[in-house]
Amino acid sequence: MKLLLGIVHPTEGGATIFDRPIGDSQARRSVGFLPEDHRFPDFLTGRQTLRLYARMAGLAADERDARAVELLARVRLTEAADRKVRTYSKGMMQRLGLAQAMMNRPRLLVLDEPADGVDPVGRREIRDVLVELRDEGATLFLNSHLLSEIERVCTRVAILKEGRLVRHGTVEELTTEERVWRLRATPVPESAATELGESLRPGDGDEPAGLGRYRLLATDRAELNRHLDVLRAAGVEIESVEPLRTSLEDFFVDVVSR
Amino acid sequence: MIGVVVLTLRELMARKIVLGLFVVATVVWGTLALALQIDVVDGTLQGIRLFGQAPEVQVEGNGEPAEQPFGGEDPLRMIVIAAESVVAGAAYWIGILLALFATGGLVASMMDRGQVDLLLSKPLGRSTVLGGRLLGVGIVVALLAFYLMGMVWLVMSLKTGVWNPRFLLAIGVVLAMFAVVYSVVTLVSVSSGSAPLALVVTLGLLFVSLVVALPGLPDKLQEPWRQVVQALHAVLPRFADVGGRTVPSLARGVPVRSWTHLVASLGFGLVAYAAAFAVFRRKDF
Repeated sequence: MKLLLGIVHPTEGGATIFDRPIGDSQARRSVGFLPEDHRFPDFLTGRQTLRLYARMAGLAADERDARAVELLARVRLTEAADRKVRTYSKGMMQRLGLAQAMMNRPRLLVLDEPADGVDPVGRREIRDVLVELRDEGATLFLNSHLLSEIERVCTRVAILKEGRLVRHGTVEELTTEERVWRLRATPVPESAATELGESLRPGDGDEPAGLGRYRLLATDRAELNRHLDVLRAAGVEIESVEPLRTSLEDFFVDVVSR
Repeated sequence: MIGVVVLTLRELMARKIVLGLFVVATVVWGTLALALQIDVVDGTLQGIRLFGQAPEVQVEGNGEPAEQPFGGEDPLRMIVIAAESVVAGAAYWIGILLALFATGGLVASMMDRGQVDLLLSKPLGRSTVLGGRLLGVGIVVALLAFYLMGMVWLVMSLKTGVWNPRFLLAIGVVLAMFAVVYSVVTLVSVSSGSAPLALVVTLGLLFVSLVVALPGLPDKLQEPWRQVVQALHAVLPRFADVGGRTVPSLARGVPVRSWTHLVASLGFGLVAYAAAFAVFRRKDF
């Protein structure tokens, strides 16, 4: 993240942002950044902070005020706009940081732990803003250890272990367990269970009376359907079949602990 | 760059010590304006009173000193020069130190985690960021120097009718030497990120530069210490020489014999600033 923003220099290799090398300061003209543990000058008000950093981001003078008003409303800080930031809570500081990062209407928004240390309500407010931005077409580059937040906001995820990329893909790709399906159905007779052998396993949790939870293992869709045929032939009524997903957190722990 | 300059100015204004220095400057020239009463008739000194007391200089009715107490020189001019010399000396020897304490932490604080990231993520070159910071410091210190010394010059000139424009050059010299001293603060700050260390190193360097400038010191030393002292004197900022020769000459309104000490000091400052910018450009945060 810091490499892309020119805060840290690469020891080798290179990268570009919007076709400009990362060492070129103009590459950051369409980028917004919210650093982890950011510190705004505590003698400024929220409004002054946004105007000042917008000036540094190259926003025209006549645009700064209007944009500050707009973003303060968007992150729900209008009432605190003229208070010194030293009086802000952690959640308010994070939202102000988010507004600061959005001042120059960035096409790429780089966020380092945006919800770190924020209470659940503040976290939800931040997430709502991020989802809105994502839906408006901005690219969010989000770094967080709060994986449930990432799961809800991001479309693609990369996992780094000791500075090296170990897995990446869409959230769906990473959280879908290969060849395992969750089955809700009436109890499976002994004969069908014997026939399916290791491909049928008991599932977790309770179901309403008359239904059971199972896990079906199949190498592909054709085999899955053959298993289902066996069950239906044994008189089993199927309520639902869906690919088994794990949480991103479980997946992350699994990957980094290998 | 303007954004960084504005941030620096606001930061300095938020520091009470800078406002305090402006108050001190006001007290200095205000006291001079109120306490010094000079009666001048037709361009001739008729009487002087300081805090309501007449000094030893007695002036006769025709405006001529009774016993030529100023060695025959114009007493008005002597008073102006004395006052301006005191203020120039104070601004140099004390003012630079106070300004150093007031602004010394600014470069290091800019490099704090969470603050430097915000600055460097903007479409600004690193030299622009550091340059903007230094420009902000320079603007405030220049305002302070012009306010103190300029007002003293104006008050003295208006009260006496004696205008000593060379004194104004002393403001430039004070500012130039502040910039030289601040180059050390900047270099140590960008290298270490520590404001206390930057101040300690700078004050230590100043102390050494004063010691090696002691008259006759090399003659009292054996080799190789003599060469060491001479080399240090040649390389380090010549704070004592500029403060002891250049500034007093300007305050007295006499030609400066040699600008070598100032030029050598500026050379040191340029090298230190170049090193500071190079370190800052390559630093990872």
